[in-house]
Amino acid sequence: MKEENFYISPGPHIFSKESTPKMMKDVIIALVPVIFASIWFFRTKAIILLLVSIASCVAFEAGLQFLMKRKITISDYSAVVTGILFAMVMPPSLPIWACILGCFVAVGLAKQLFGGLGMNIFNPALLGRAFLAAAFPVFMTRWNHPISLDAVTGATPLGLVKFGHSLDINYWDLFIGNVSGSLGETSALALLIGGLYLLIKKTIDWRIPSAYIGTVLGISFVANLISPDVYSGGLFHILAGGLLIGTIFMATDPVTSPVTKTGRWIFGIGCAVITMVIRLWGGLPEGVMYAILLMNALTPLLNRMTRPRRYGT
Amino acid sequence: MDSLKCASCGKELCKGLWRENPIFFQVLGMCPTLAVTTKALFGFSMGMATTFVLISSSLVISCIRKLIPPQVRIATFTVIIATFVTCADYFLKANFYTISKELGPYVPLIVVNCIILGRQEAFVSKHGVAKSLLDALGMGIGFSAVLVLLGSIRELFGFGTIFYYKILGEGFENWVIMALPAGAFITLGFLVGLFNWINIRLRQRRNSA
Amino acid sequence: MRKTIQMISVLTIVGLVSGAVLVFTYKYANPLILDNQKSEMEEAIFKIFPKADTYDKDIIEDNVVFRVKEKSGKLLGYAFLAQGNGYQGVIKMMAGIEPDLETLVGIEILESQETPGLGQEITEEEFKAQFKGLTTSPEITYVKNKSPERPNEIQAVTGATVSSSAVVSILNEKIKAIKEKLKEQ
Repeated sequence: MKEENFYISPGPHIFSKESTPKMMKDVIIALVPVIFASIWFFRTKAIILLLVSIASCVAFEAGLQFLMKRKITISDYSAVVTGILFAMVMPPSLPIWACILGCFVAVGLAKQLFGGLGMNIFNPALLGRAFLAAAFPVFMTRWNHPISLDAVTGATPLGLVKFGHSLDINYWDLFIGNVSGSLGETSALALLIGGLYLLIKKTIDWRIPSAYIGTVLGISFVANLISPDVYSGGLFHILAGGLLIGTIFMATDPVTSPVTKTGRWIFGIGCAVITMVIRLWGGLPEGVMYAILLMNALTPLLNRMTRPRRYGT
Repeated sequence: MDSLKCASCGKELCKGLWRENPIFFQVLGMCPTLAVTTKALFGFSMGMATTFVLISSSLVISCIRKLIPPQVRIATFTVIIATFVTCADYFLKANFYTISKELGPYVPLIVVNCIILGRQEAFVSKHGVAKSLLDALGMGIGFSAVLVLLGSIRELFGFGTIFYYKILGEGFENWVIMALPAGAFITLGFLVGLFNWINIRLRQRRNSA
Repeated sequence: MRKTIQMISVLTIVGLVSGAVLVFTYKYANPLILDNQKSEMEEAIFKIFPKADTYDKDIIEDNVVFRVKEKSGKLLGYAFLAQGNGYQGVIKMMAGIEPDLETLVGIEILESQETPGLGQEITEEEFKAQFKGLTTSPEITYVKNKSPERPNEIQAVTGATVSSSAVVSILNEKIKAIKEKLKEQ
């Protein structure tokens, strides 16, 4: 009798060999304007962090797969994407060694230990960032002014509004990205171009970003209506902080977000609610990272809960 | 007297150290394991307090086990364990005030540590004094060793020291996460993984030999 | 019936013996524990007032105040306990204030469960030293990421605003209460 191997694994069960590298390439293309914006605003700091991050993510992926005697899959570009995204959510003045450590957590802990691409529960780049945020809170709240690169502490637009209590916002700077923040999160313009490209190519699903942005708008509108001198308006909450990079490139990660349509709506709304709760009432100025990670953890549950029923059952 | 014909005594002592290690193998007593191991010294103190409670309650319970009616055995065990825990707590507070302040509520919480009640129920209530003591000693040392190991790793990365002895130099930036609960989970995860990996290796070697 | 009696008697005996053991332990340990607590407080008082020689404990409506005196008997100032919620748990501290109740002499943190390496920096000398000579009216405030400019300002620990502001607000509240009570007298 011919021996056959049956693999038993949770869904999705349809794997297509071609689609991963192609999808990853699309994401990289969409990230090009973001990369340009980050290099424009943060100069050499952006270039160095980006190169270190990509190189170490690819190296850790290949190295760990070699050590675990797995097939080496760096040619599917997923490690490159993780590397770029990781660098894009880092503060510009992060030390190089901390960046490498974060990449190890992202690729090693969040991805390879869970079984590699497709098996990870949490978005690797975000888990790497969460690790660094918990390990080196001082580095992760040290920001630079764009272009001049002067060091400013704790003064991202969100931090200013929350702790400085100033609602004096320059929306144009916020839109093009001329504010302090993580490398790739500041320029809403570049992120929107990338997002649009991904939506047109149908690489990402429109439901999660719509649910996310829509709910954030709604909550901030109500908060602003109730006490306009404390809470800033909806547009500010969309443009400031990591909301756009999170909703376009991380919440839509096909591995860590639900596969069903209803699940995606719930996922987006959940992300938005957690983000806004942290931003408005939490101890931190920004909550996108924890919101997406928390909803990542709920994804298997959402998939199960919203599984389409067969007719007749 | 079972202490005289104790061929399996070495086994009773050693099983707690590795093969049936309370943390790695039985995964019991997670609350103190995760909570107090921010520094090696706290892990050590916790391990010692737990070992004391484990040994003394094993001694008392193995002596009177035949007198305890099975219906009220859990209640009796709990009273005895709680007494020793309170003694340990008072002792720490009286003689090691700063350590007891760091350990906080986790010393009184030894009462609900599953290792202790678990050993009484699973082992002591069925065995004699000598075996019970060896079992308690083995389990206690196994538990303490893991706590010290976990505490050392977390203290090393979180503060650059082990038992307050500076190991990592000035250039080292403390990893705050290692002093937080998240660091405990990550370190414990790695250690349990390592434990299983070594066990699988050992089994493979035994099978092929 | 025999079983029930056996159950009750075993539990009673175990309980009685345990109780006796606990009584003895308590008798042995309690004086030592009280000593420890007292010496911890004394240490803090003498650290804040290095010239102090004696102190009288005074309890004015839930406020524990120590009148700290020099060897000559001159009043050096008042030390008081203050506690409240920090970022993760209770922060308990001893603070010293000059006899005119306007200038702080210093603070010592007795208990805190803040984030190690971050909020826990409030127990470091660098943070505590800021309270030396701080004026208490108007209320103490904190600034972030810049050096304090006014005599009633301290700089918050970087990245630990919650812990720093907790210390400030706990102090302010207690100072206000102490001022009222002491002035009444």
